[in-house]
Amino acid sequence: MIAVVVIPAFDLRAALRLHPALEAAPAALAPLPGTEALLGSVTAAAAAKGVRPGMRLGEALATCPQLVLVEQDPASVEQAWEEVLRRLEDAGFAVEPGEPGTVFFDTRGVERLYGGLDPALKRALNAVGPAWDARAGAAERRFAALAAANVARPGQALVVSDDRTQRFLAPLPLSLLPLERERYEELEELGVRTIGQLAGLPGAAVAERLGPEGRRAWSLARGEQDGRVAPRRAAERLHETLEFPEAVAQELTLRRGLGVLVDRLLARPERTGRPPRKLALWARLAGGASWRRTVTLREPTADAARLRTALGPKLAELPAPVLKLRLELAELAEGTGEQLELVRGEGEVVQGRLREGLRQVRAAVGAGGVSTVVEVAPWSRIPEARALLVPRDD
Amino acid sequence: MVAHPGGARAARSARRLNAPRPALVEPHGDGVPRRVNRQDVALLREEWRIVDRWWTDEPVDRRYFDLVLETGENVVVYRDAGSGAWFTQRA
Repeated sequence: MIAVVVIPAFDLRAALRLHPALEAAPAALAPLPGTEALLGSVTAAAAAKGVRPGMRLGEALATCPQLVLVEQDPASVEQAWEEVLRRLEDAGFAVEPGEPGTVFFDTRGVERLYGGLDPALKRALNAVGPAWDARAGAAERRFAALAAANVARPGQALVVSDDRTQRFLAPLPLSLLPLERERYEELEELGVRTIGQLAGLPGAAVAERLGPEGRRAWSLARGEQDGRVAPRRAAERLHETLEFPEAVAQELTLRRGLGVLVDRLLARPERTGRPPRKLALWARLAGGASWRRTVTLREPTADAARLRTALGPKLAELPAPVLKLRLELAELAEGTGEQLELVRGEGEVVQGRLREGLRQVRAAVGAGGVSTVVEVAPWSRIPEARALLVPRDD
Repeated sequence: MVAHPGGARAARSARRLNAPRPALVEPHGDGVPRRVNRQDVALLREEWRIVDRWWTDEPVDRRYFDLVLETGENVVVYRDAGSGAWFTQRA
C-alpha cells in the first residue's frame, strides 16, 4: 500500500517555532513581498474568528483586527521539513517528499518490520513527533491515501482498502483534488461539489470543459492508478555557518565571508573528494526573517574560485542585513576523477607553502588559531566595528 | 544508526577585531584620566568624543583620551557614558 503523512499548515507551524506564544493566538502567514495580498496558512484561533487561508489581507484584518501576521520563513520550513524526513528515514521509512507537510512511502517493507500496517503507520506518526499534529492515510492509490490523511484527525491513521476507495472518495470535497481555484469555482457553478459527482461525469466532457488538468482530476476522482512511490536517496548534508557579531549589509564583506565558508566546506573530510553539484546559501536576516537560494552547477567542481564565482552574485539578492550566513552542500557528484594539470598554475607553490605553514600553526595552537581579517566598515568611527576576525580551519 | 555529520559542527563565530578591553582608570575631577592600570599619566595628547548609533538599542557615547604614561607607553582609553565604565582600545 501507499501511505501518506500529512502535517497541515506546515509552513506556518515551522515559522511559529520561533514564536511559540503565537500558536494559540489568531495568526496567519503574511503574503510574500511583491505578491498578491493573500493570506497563507492560519492558526486554529484565527480560523475560529473567520479568517481563512487565501483570504485578502484587508478582509482578514477587518474580520479579525487582532490578527498577527507572521513573516514567511522558507529556510525554517526547509530545515524543519528535512528534520521530519530524517526522523522518518531513521525509523526505516523510504520516503518520497512532496510539498513540505506531505510525505509518501510504500508500506510493503515496513509492514514486516513493525508487524502490520497499523503499527507501521503509528510508528511513522511517532517518528514525526506529537508537536506537528501529523495524520496518516494509506490506500492502494496515492490520491486515495492523500485524501484519507487529509480527513484523518491529528494522530490518527486512516486506511482505505481498494474495494472501498470509490465509496470513500465520493462524498469528499473537490478541494482535495489538485486543481486551480478557478476550476473549483467553475465546477461549483455547474453544481459539482464532491469528488463522487465529478467521477460520475463523462471523461470526454470533463476534458473538453476543463482541459488536461480537469481530465487528470477526473481520473483521480475515479480512483484510477496514479503512480508508485519513488523514494528519495537519503542526502548527506554538510554545511558551514558563519555568525556575525552584528548585522552585515556590505556585499564585499559577505563575499569574503562566503569565501571562508567555501574553503571550510571543501576541507570537510565527509566529502571524500566528491565535488559539489548543488549548493544552498542560507542567511538569517536582521529582524528575524530568513533567506535561501540554491545553485546547481553546470559541471560539478571542487574549485573554490569557481564556486565563489557561482555563488557570489546571489549575495546581491539579499533583502536585508545578515546576522548569520550558511553554505550547505545539497548534493555531491559521485565521480571523484578529474583531469590533472601538466603544468601547475602560477603561485600554486607559494599557496601550498602558505597552507602548510598555517597547518603547522593550527597544530601548535589548536582549532581557531588561524583567522582572516575581514573589513566590515573601515570608515566607521567606532574602532571595533571596522573589521572582524573570521576563524578558518581549512 | 549513523549520526548526521552536519549537525555535529557548531557555528563558528566571527570575532570583532580591536574589541575594547576593561581598564582600571582613576580620573581627575574634570574626567581626564590621572592613572591608567596603576600607571601615572604623563601627558594628555588628544581628547575626542564619539556619539553614534543613537537611533538603535545600543547607542554609542564615548569620551576618548590618547595618553602617554610615565613609563613612556602610549595608550588610548575611553569612558562609556552609558555604563560609566573605562576601556582601553587602539583607536
